[in-house]
Order: sequence, then structure tokens, then C-alpha cells
Amino acid sequence: MNSRADELAVDAARARRLVLRMLEAGHSGHIGGALSAIDIITALYMNELAIDPANPNEPGRDRFLLSAGHKAMAQYAVLALRGFFPVEILDTYGAFGSRTPGHPDMHKLPGIEANTGALGHGLPIACGMALGARLDRLSSRVFVLMGDGELPEGSNWEGAAIAGHYKLDNLVVFVDANGLQISGRTSEVMDMAPIAEKFRAYGWATDEIDGNDMAQILDILTRLPLAAGRPSAIIARTVKGKGVAQLEDTAASHYWRPTQAELDAAIQQIEAQIGALQLEATR
Amino acid sequence: MTGELYDPRKTFGAAVTAAAEQDERIVVLSADSGGSSGLGGFLARFPERYLEFGIEEQAVTGVASGLATMGKIPVFCAIAPFVTCRNFEQFRNDLGYMRQNVKMVGRNGGFTYADLGSTHHSLEDYAIMRMIPGVTVLAPQDAGEIQGAVKAMLRYEGPVYMRIGSGTVPQLFPSDDFVIGKGRRVRQGSDVTVITTGYTTISVLEAVDVLMAEGLQIDLLCLGTVTPLDDELVLASARRTGHVITVEEHYPRGGLYGAVAELLSQTFPVIVHSLAVPHIYVPSGPYPDLLRSYGLDAASLEVEIRELVSRRSKGDQVAGLPPAMMSRAAPDK
Repeated sequence: MNSRADELAVDAARARRLVLRMLEAGHSGHIGGALSAIDIITALYMNELAIDPANPNEPGRDRFLLSAGHKAMAQYAVLALRGFFPVEILDTYGAFGSRTPGHPDMHKLPGIEANTGALGHGLPIACGMALGARLDRLSSRVFVLMGDGELPEGSNWEGAAIAGHYKLDNLVVFVDANGLQISGRTSEVMDMAPIAEKFRAYGWATDEIDGNDMAQILDILTRLPLAAGRPSAIIARTVKGKGVAQLEDTAASHYWRPTQAELDAAIQQIEAQIGALQLEATR
Repeated sequence: MTGELYDPRKTFGAAVTAAAEQDERIVVLSADSGGSSGLGGFLARFPERYLEFGIEEQAVTGVASGLATMGKIPVFCAIAPFVTCRNFEQFRNDLGYMRQNVKMVGRNGGFTYADLGSTHHSLEDYAIMRMIPGVTVLAPQDAGEIQGAVKAMLRYEGPVYMRIGSGTVPQLFPSDDFVIGKGRRVRQGSDVTVITTGYTTISVLEAVDVLMAEGLQIDLLCLGTVTPLDDELVLASARRTGHVITVEEHYPRGGLYGAVAELLSQTFPVIVHSLAVPHIYVPSGPYPDLLRSYGLDAASLEVEIRELVSRRSKGDQVAGLPPAMMSRAAPDK
């Protein structure tokens, strides 16, 4: 591991702790996908995106869209870590009128670029942003995180066609491929494999990584776009519920309402991971 | 009113192109629909600002949202049901909920795509769009208002749905005085209020003028905006006449009738009658035949309005059209 990856792994673990803090406040939420995607989201916000928390609407900024909007807890945690808003806002999770609703609302929090949550919406919106950046000759890039469970939505493939047709090499998709959705294994619910081949058929360049391995995430980010003149799709193999033993690789982690004892155990595990990773990073 | 007739789509396209000369933020999106929406001139003039996507209205609606985030003013025109029904969730979330500055235009509205059948008719678009918070719904009534509405919606910040028809329309109103949310009181009278919207106004005006020549005193309100409704104009007229008839090429539920009834039922309850298309999948056929069949041509409107006013003045508080007239509007068995 290089040292930057070690530092970011600590950030990701801290973000996981903030997700649990939201559950302490709100008592339940879509934690499984939040924990599978959080390493990628951490790497993007802490290391990659051209963004400024003090000036979140700068026109030339990079954009990040959480197409799988139910993973919002991960985005809120990382935005707070990155300084977009005070971390105390996370303690309103689940409350009436909260600025951290179950799915993101761009009018409630700085740093949120779209009101996602209905699946299959992120990529077409991102295509519009990427086209707009091109029309204005802005260097902005657009990143989208999709879940593998949302891939059957047809509008995704309409968006995939647009990005390929317009050769949007300022557009990058991460598919958080944790292989699970509410009803079970994605391969059994609706098998969309092979995912990379589907994107390639639409004119995309693709690669596959371990999406919970910070070194691999950082490495792929240095190689963007994966091919000149093509949008990039990165199939990130992840573990649903990553970091909490009880939740890992379970469909039940999709939406979790823990008992106090379960939540305490999860917090203990994540805090132990933070400690171990900090040690690693300073070694 | 001049005798000249205009193609609504060409009128619309020319107005967008003219506005784009002044505002470089305006871009046109096409789902294989731009040329037939009168936007061929825009493509020739601004090829780099004309984006073709092929037939995928859901994603194009999302793209419009993303372009709006980047400061563009996207104009997306296609056959009305494909930009209201097909992409409803994208309209609701990506444009409405996100409050995006996107202009969606449904052409061949109502059943003007007569012989193409119910898949291509749009008799619920006002209702669908009225249900999305923050969406402005325009229904320009003639060639002048199409030009005026285009200018007004492009100056207005926020999501707009506009319905236009096909065929030809005259110019009834000036092209430069369209105000979103403001209707026109075109005739004045105290016997009955007639409220109309969209290109239906053309036939309504013809019928109303015949009836007024007979001595009926009609307060005629012509609305180029369905949402927000011109509450003040409607309420003041209802107070004057105590009897309201709405006319629209739309289903009765949820459209102009719905909007007017919702307003009056809790402010100044009076009888509100609806002259509209029955809630069925209407058969295909020539447009004039459809208008006649469902009582929306000038000659039928004349008879229906006369009958409704007559029954109302005889003290019949609740009845609508007599059974013989309603049967014309009943679904085919």
C-alpha cells in the first residue's frame, strides 16, 4: 500500500463510523450499499474531484452523482468529512425535515448535484452535464456511482448509448457491483452479467477493480479516461455491508434496523478498524 | 384576426430559433423529433446547439436536466404523450423536484394526431403536468400566442410544459403580450362564463360569437396558461355570471375543468359544466370527425353552450347536457 491509499483508507473507515452515527440518530437506513460504495466515494471526494467546499457551485467543478441514491448515507458522511457542512447535520438523519433525507436532495445540502433515488436516473443526467461541459469547453468531469441492482432499468442503457455516441470521455461510471439487492443475488434476481461487455458494446472503455481496495481505486483514477474519446465504466467488485461482520455479503444489509446491541457491536468493529488503519498509515 | 393560417410547429420552431439568436444558452434536444417539431431551421442556424439523441425520451429528459445544471436552457419538443407519459418520472424528479430550467413541448396535443390513434393522442397532459409541483403548464391558443409563449417561457426560470397542436391555426392575439398565468377576457357578458384554453379557443370563439349575436351574454375567458390558473380572472367572472362552462381538448378530469372546479368549489361555488373529450380511448379518424363526434367543433359547441345555459336558466341546478346530446360523447360499445 502506498501512504496516500493508507490515509484514504482511514478516511473511509471514519466515513463508515459517520454512517453508523446516522443510524444512531435515525435508527434505520440503507446501510449495505452505503458501506460497499464508501471507499470509492471517499477516494473521489478526498482525492480526485475538482471541488471546493467553500465554493460548491463553481461552474467548472467536477460533478459526482449518486445514481443509486439510497446509498446517500455514504455520500453525506464523506461530504461532511470533506468539509461541505458541519458533521452535526448528520445527527438529524431520519428526523422530520432533515437536510439528510433517505435519498439526496440538491436543495438541502451543498455538494449534492441531483435528486436521485429513483433508479436509472443518474447516468442520463450525467450525460447532460458532460455534454454541457463540452459545449462550454469546461474541463469538468462527471462521475456517476451506480449500483449493480439498478442496471436492469432501461434508462441506464439509453444513457449508455448517449455517452458512447457522443464519445463523452469526461464521463466516468463506477458500478458498485456488490452482487446483492433486496431480494437476493443480482445474478438470480436479474442477471446483467457480463456488465463490462455491455458497456463496451455501447462504445465505452471499461476495467474492473476491487472497489473496497483503496490502492486499486487510486490506481484506476490515475488512468482516466480509460481510453481517449470514450466514456469510462469501472466495474468495482465490492462487498455489501463492508466493514460490519454481521452485514457483509448479506441481502439483509440492504436496509438495516439494528438493535442497540447490534449497533454497538458495529461501532466497536469500525472503531477498531480506524485504529488499526491509523497505525498502518503512520507506520 | 387575419385570414392567414399558420403551422403551429413551424411557428414554434421559428420562435425558438429567433430567441436563440439573442440567448446562446438555448439548446434544442431532439428524440428523432426536432425536424418534425419545426426545428429544422434551428439545426441549420445553430448546428452545435442542436443535440440529436434518437428515440429515448426518458434519457433525453434526464439529459435536459443535466444541461440545465450546466446553465443551458434546453428546449425538447416531441409528440405530446412521449414527453409527458413516457418520461413522467424523469419529468417529476429530474425537472420538477430538481427545479430545472427546462422547456418541454408536447406537439400534436389533444387528438390532433387523429388517425394515428390513442397511442399518439394526448388527452391527459394538462392533468399529468398539473400534478407535478412547480411545473408551469402553457397552452397557447393561436399563432400569436405560440410566439408569445415561447418568448415568455424562455425568459421564465423553471420547468415549463407547453402543448401545441398540429394542422393550421389563425392568429387571434398579438405575438408580444403573452404573460404566464394571465388569461384574456375576450368577450364580456353576464349570462354565463365560458373558459377555454389551447387551440380549442379558435372554435369556441366562433361559437360564442354566433351565440352573442343571438343575444346571449357570454363572459369569454381565453387562457394561454393552465397552471398557474388565472384565479382572479376566473373568480371575478364566476361572480358576475354564476355559471361556468369549461371547454378543452382533454379529458374532463384533471385538466382545465379540474383546475376551475377546484378553485370555485372552495371560493365561489357555482355550477361548472365541462365540454371535453369523454374519458375513453377515442377511435382514430380524421380530426374534424373527432371534433364533431365529441362536440368540440364550433357548430357543436354552439348547440351545447346554448342548451346548458337554457337548462340552467330554467332553474335546473345540476343537470348537464340532455341524454340525447351526451350519447354523442359516449364511448363506443
